[in-house]
Amino acid sequence: MDYTPAAVVPLGTLAEKNDIGKPWRYEEDGLTVTRTSPWSPPGCHPVGCGLKLYVNDEGRLVRVEGDENHPVTQGRLCPRCLALKDYVYNPSRVLHPLRRDPKDRGKSDRWERISWDEAFELIKSEYERIVGTWGAESIVAFCGTGREGGTMSLYPTMVFGTPNMCYTQSGYACYTPRLAAVVYMTGCTYPEWDNAGALPGRWDDERYQLTEVLILWGKQPLYSNPDGFFGHSLIDAMRRGTRIISIDPRVNWLATRADLHLPLRAGTDTALGMAMLNIIIEEDLYDHDFVDYWCYGFDQLRERVAEMPPEKAAEICGLPAEKIYAAARMYATAKPAAIMWGLAVDQKTDGMQNGHVIIDLQAITGNLDRPGGQLLPGAGAGHNELGFGYAESIGDELMQKMIGLKEYPAYCNMILNAHADLMLEALETGEPYPLKMGFYMGNNLMSCTSQEPKRWHDAIVKSLEFCIGVDCFITPSIEASCDVFLPLATVAEREGTVYTHYAPCTVTAGFMHKAITVGEAYYSDMELAYELGKRLHPERFSQWANSHELVEHFRLGVQEHGEYFDKVSQCVVAQIPIDYYKYEKGLLRPDGQLGFATPTGRVELWASAFHTFGDDPLPYYLEPEFGPVNSPELMEKYPFILTTGARTPAFFHSEHRQIAYLRELHPDPIVEINPAVAKRLGITDGQWVRIYNMVGECVQKAQVSPIVDEHTIHAEHAWWFPEEDGSEPNLYGTFRSNINNLLPNGHFGKLGFGAPNKCLICNIEPATENYDTDMQNIWDTFGELVER
Amino acid sequence: MTAYGLLIDYEYCTNCGSCEVTCKEEHDYPVGKWGIRVLGDGPWAIDEDNWNWNWYPLPTDLCDLCAERTAKGREPACVHHCLANIISYGPVEELAKQLAEKPKQLLIVPQFMPRVAKGPFVPQERDDGHRAAHIEVKGTGKAAFGAHRHDSRVGEIDETDLDL
Repeated sequence: MDYTPAAVVPLGTLAEKNDIGKPWRYEEDGLTVTRTSPWSPPGCHPVGCGLKLYVNDEGRLVRVEGDENHPVTQGRLCPRCLALKDYVYNPSRVLHPLRRDPKDRGKSDRWERISWDEAFELIKSEYERIVGTWGAESIVAFCGTGREGGTMSLYPTMVFGTPNMCYTQSGYACYTPRLAAVVYMTGCTYPEWDNAGALPGRWDDERYQLTEVLILWGKQPLYSNPDGFFGHSLIDAMRRGTRIISIDPRVNWLATRADLHLPLRAGTDTALGMAMLNIIIEEDLYDHDFVDYWCYGFDQLRERVAEMPPEKAAEICGLPAEKIYAAARMYATAKPAAIMWGLAVDQKTDGMQNGHVIIDLQAITGNLDRPGGQLLPGAGAGHNELGFGYAESIGDELMQKMIGLKEYPAYCNMILNAHADLMLEALETGEPYPLKMGFYMGNNLMSCTSQEPKRWHDAIVKSLEFCIGVDCFITPSIEASCDVFLPLATVAEREGTVYTHYAPCTVTAGFMHKAITVGEAYYSDMELAYELGKRLHPERFSQWANSHELVEHFRLGVQEHGEYFDKVSQCVVAQIPIDYYKYEKGLLRPDGQLGFATPTGRVELWASAFHTFGDDPLPYYLEPEFGPVNSPELMEKYPFILTTGARTPAFFHSEHRQIAYLRELHPDPIVEINPAVAKRLGITDGQWVRIYNMVGECVQKAQVSPIVDEHTIHAEHAWWFPEEDGSEPNLYGTFRSNINNLLPNGHFGKLGFGAPNKCLICNIEPATENYDTDMQNIWDTFGELVER
Repeated sequence: MTAYGLLIDYEYCTNCGSCEVTCKEEHDYPVGKWGIRVLGDGPWAIDEDNWNWNWYPLPTDLCDLCAERTAKGREPACVHHCLANIISYGPVEELAKQLAEKPKQLLIVPQFMPRVAKGPFVPQERDDGHRAAHIEVKGTGKAAFGAHRHDSRVGEIDETDLDL
């Protein structure tokens, strides 16, 4: 890979005096400026924007700016990085290792400061005791989302040697159901909308074709901006003429700018997709050449979707049939056209099937790997951290002990994770074997990523004898369950790499450069893995003289004692050379052959892999288990469809609540209810309400708005209140406004994927309490930054 | 003097908050004070297929158009960081030309601390030179209820009528 500085296309609003062409580090007005491309922390699913970090002669970060040298972000920056200084020097950030007696778990005043050596020694002795007694499989490494360490398999494999890395969201209902569809149908990892990000001429590059129509399916890329993609590229495209179709139960802002908005009943997407396929096939709007030469199972698909006439889907989805026809025709007649799929696709029991129909649509319209369509990752792309260390550190025998591997091989083998729901049961019951040690890799599962979070809390606290938390702040999960806390370096304090979207479908490769050191938060995730690994398993880590060599080897696949890293990292951001129509050129498959890396070499509309796993090889719609059709009696008590988790630009999931400027953008957890519903229930705008169903309850603040219809309620996720008492049972209020209290475990699909997190039911009533955030208190608590 | 302003293409303001936060960072404005603020109207339905939902980034009375930055030839912080790239800075005359090219835009010239900008009160020298002179006068001899009244109830005050 040739890492050269990306081509620069300045924005029209850029002043004549700017920093285009500056080196990775330079001096300006007595400050040292370091150009970098951040991953985390603070959390972000790697986008790798361009940052300039200004540091004074005392080594203090005094200013953060967007780097106009970045080919995609071009100097633009989201509020979370703009407030980076307030994260780095936040008074509640912890900058040295801590320990706490396990009997004092949940007591926020019992942490004691220890040295790194003491922390490493304690971990080593507990690790050896637990592995000696219970085996390495008794360790669970809790995966997070987004953070560099959050999914870094180096921790569970090479450092701890456990097969049990576990993302605790039921059915891994985040990314993985979609991934299953695309992996098993095309042999690729992620069909991203081509935003010309990898082309030197960007939108005007001669190889590019502007996308005519873009479908946003359960996705609002502007606010889910950190999901591996610079969301505001969409605005760039719209200003050039791209038209939008929005599929979302909510009238999100982009839906008001769309040519068509399909506000379907939450959870019915697969029926809609099947009907669109039906229309495109019946009206002969599909790409015959692509179907004939590159697809497998078209006739079976045609037969299957014939079972879903648009009028039937219209009834299921609560949409006018004409809108379904209009959307299908608009998408199929546009060239190029693309679909961006969001988390909503995953968060239903038939999430994988929803992914299936979307791949079908992309394939039969001939938009796969077309300029301005869906960019496919080439054979060389990859999730270079997934799979790392399994063979040499775990081996087959131990691998077989991964929780859920036998029951759900399509899930566990693909994402190399223990099955979430089965892990919860194992923690609760000690079966098939006891789990004794935990490691939070960049995860706050009690606030964010778990359903029935109190159940997870109880299971973890009861089962795990020793728990390690790695973070910048003491989160509710760490406060409740950890015995050792290790402070993590932020993006301003670390070196490393960042590939858009982890690496599948890479547009840019970026390099993090260390600009400052703060307290004793010396280590990035990779450096911490190296330090821990060297002590727990020196035999595995002795091949690298230092962590710098490890980073180079792990991230760049080169071993030149770090010199290669030092050299190429000076480019800060590189565009990854891409090619289109790779299936015609032998560039999609590891074996270099033409076609797709599937059993038939084609896009499998009839998916052999699903058939092998015992599932239906064709897409099928599953009516939500909770809803008007399947649980009418429950709906008498809980008459609203509950959908959750829409993003806000102020926060990355459960992060950033302690950053005063960001909290001020969004002080309280918001639940959206329709004006007619509010009137009927006596709820006023801004009033706190109790949301409840058969699983649990929480309180949030009502925003009365026609953004949702009269049947639907939308509630935000991942709220906790770092300004509050951290001790049990309050735990920074993490269970008070936590919408996940209402979300059950155990409602995944046949292969183990999916969860109904965006299509449940609930009721709502006015509350008498007022929990409004006092912003003056937030400013007094977190506004005064700390001298380090 | 050339007036400078901001041209805002509010068709594409997404309420991302970048202008608000970068402005606070640039000026060290605390919680509760803003140099620019995104105000919204909507969503409300115009009809079955059309919605009104617009965000308007509006400079406040604490917007100095980033005087320090622009003095160095840089663009204001909000212009640099706006994710949708919808804020332009420049002389009003130039921006006005762009304003004519596309609907759904706003051209705004903010004023930093307008009360302060007016300056302290300074008395103006507006004496017309007139001076009072010694002139003999005669009194009416009686006080009256009200003045410039022409109704029948008007009359001179008779102290004996008053219950003092």
